[in-house]
Amino acid sequence: MALYLLYESASGYSLFLAHGIDQIGQNTEAVRSSISDINRFGKVVQLAAFDPFESALDALNQCNSVSEGVMTDELRKFLEKNLPTVKEGKKPKFSLGVSEPKIGSHIFEETKIPCQSNEFVLELIRGVRLHFTTLLKSLKPGDLEKAQLGLGHSYSRAKVKFNVNRVDNMVI
Amino acid sequence: GRGGMKGGNKVVVEPHRHEGVFIGKGKEDALVTKNLVPGEAVYNEKRISVQNEDGTKVEYRIWNPFRSKLAAAILGGVDNIWIKPGAKVLYLGAASGTTVSHVSDIVGPTGVVYAVEFSHRSGRDLVNMAKKRTNVIPIIEDARHPAKYRMLVGMVDVIFSDVAQPDQARIVALNASYFLKAGGHFVISIKANCIDSTSPAEAVFQSEVKKLQEEQFKPAEQVTLEPFERDHACVVGGYRMPKKSKAGNA
Repeated sequence: MALYLLYESASGYSLFLAHGIDQIGQNTEAVRSSISDINRFGKVVQLAAFDPFESALDALNQCNSVSEGVMTDELRKFLEKNLPTVKEGKKPKFSLGVSEPKIGSHIFEETKIPCQSNEFVLELIRGVRLHFTTLLKSLKPGDLEKAQLGLGHSYSRAKVKFNVNRVDNMVI
Repeated sequence: GRGGMKGGNKVVVEPHRHEGVFIGKGKEDALVTKNLVPGEAVYNEKRISVQNEDGTKVEYRIWNPFRSKLAAAILGGVDNIWIKPGAKVLYLGAASGTTVSHVSDIVGPTGVVYAVEFSHRSGRDLVNMAKKRTNVIPIIEDARHPAKYRMLVGMVDVIFSDVAQPDQARIVALNASYFLKAGGHFVISIKANCIDSTSPAEAVFQSEVKKLQEEQFKPAEQVTLEPFERDHACVVGGYRMPKKSKAGNA
């Protein structure tokens, strides 16, 4: 049974395939010790797909939805394009590991893609976060931080109700 | 008195034991950090300018321990703050960003500070401060729900926490499980009154340390923030520390 991981970054959505991890035989402790070393982790978890956000506005929309545990149309397209097809009446031979159960149940309701979010999956996602820029070769050093910086500002400015288009105008 | 060449107000700045922190030696010694944005104060703090031998100038900002628990912990003699040039720091309870601005000075252009604050009122100041300091990523969100800001934060070396909430240990543990490297460190400021106002402060600190130990934290030291803050302690330690290999276990 194949295990995919959904990783939402400031630069875009990505899917990783966790090879040869038999969940029953694995304990969380074993995963913990293997994620620190990129040589070991990179053999087990590999990039399956990456879809960069189209614009800063798109990134903000995705971030707001992910934050609320909602799957956007863009995320749905990304998942359906890059994951094996789920056929009606057949039990899928894969599952999708997600960071948080709410988005998992939304994905399952809409697409029937089976999702899981448990200690084991969260450990693997910790590994992806640690090695993300190494696993994703298309990002240059510093690119991810730049994306986080831009998105952090737009996300936070919207929260404190600054007018996004004007610098000094705020609504109380 | 005054007069003579260059007057009597010359200040010498020396590196502090903690990398990225400095001491301004004048009439009275002061903790200072090297201003990442020379020419600008963040909260009307005083700045001092020092001329190097080659004629270039470096500006430092005075760091007031009455306004910053991290500065108070440093003056309290904490052994290691783990926040240093190039470090990635997740800062919980960033408030208006006064201490965050000094952390931003310390980690410098190659470091990053993810600054989380839930209050919109102080959040505005934080966002404004971060506009000029591009190593600060402002996150206006509830630190109780790190999943909400998981897209904005990478893996970090240090978590600093000053959230003054009864469930602070749980909040730090949850954030660490998402964002703190194995072998990374935490620095947390504990205000006894915020956790339990009926027990003596020392008992509260002890029970907080115990809670941390149950969450894969390894507290290494504890300093009081007296005389700058009453009934506050700063606890520092490691997270998911590598087990020392036993002798003979090849």
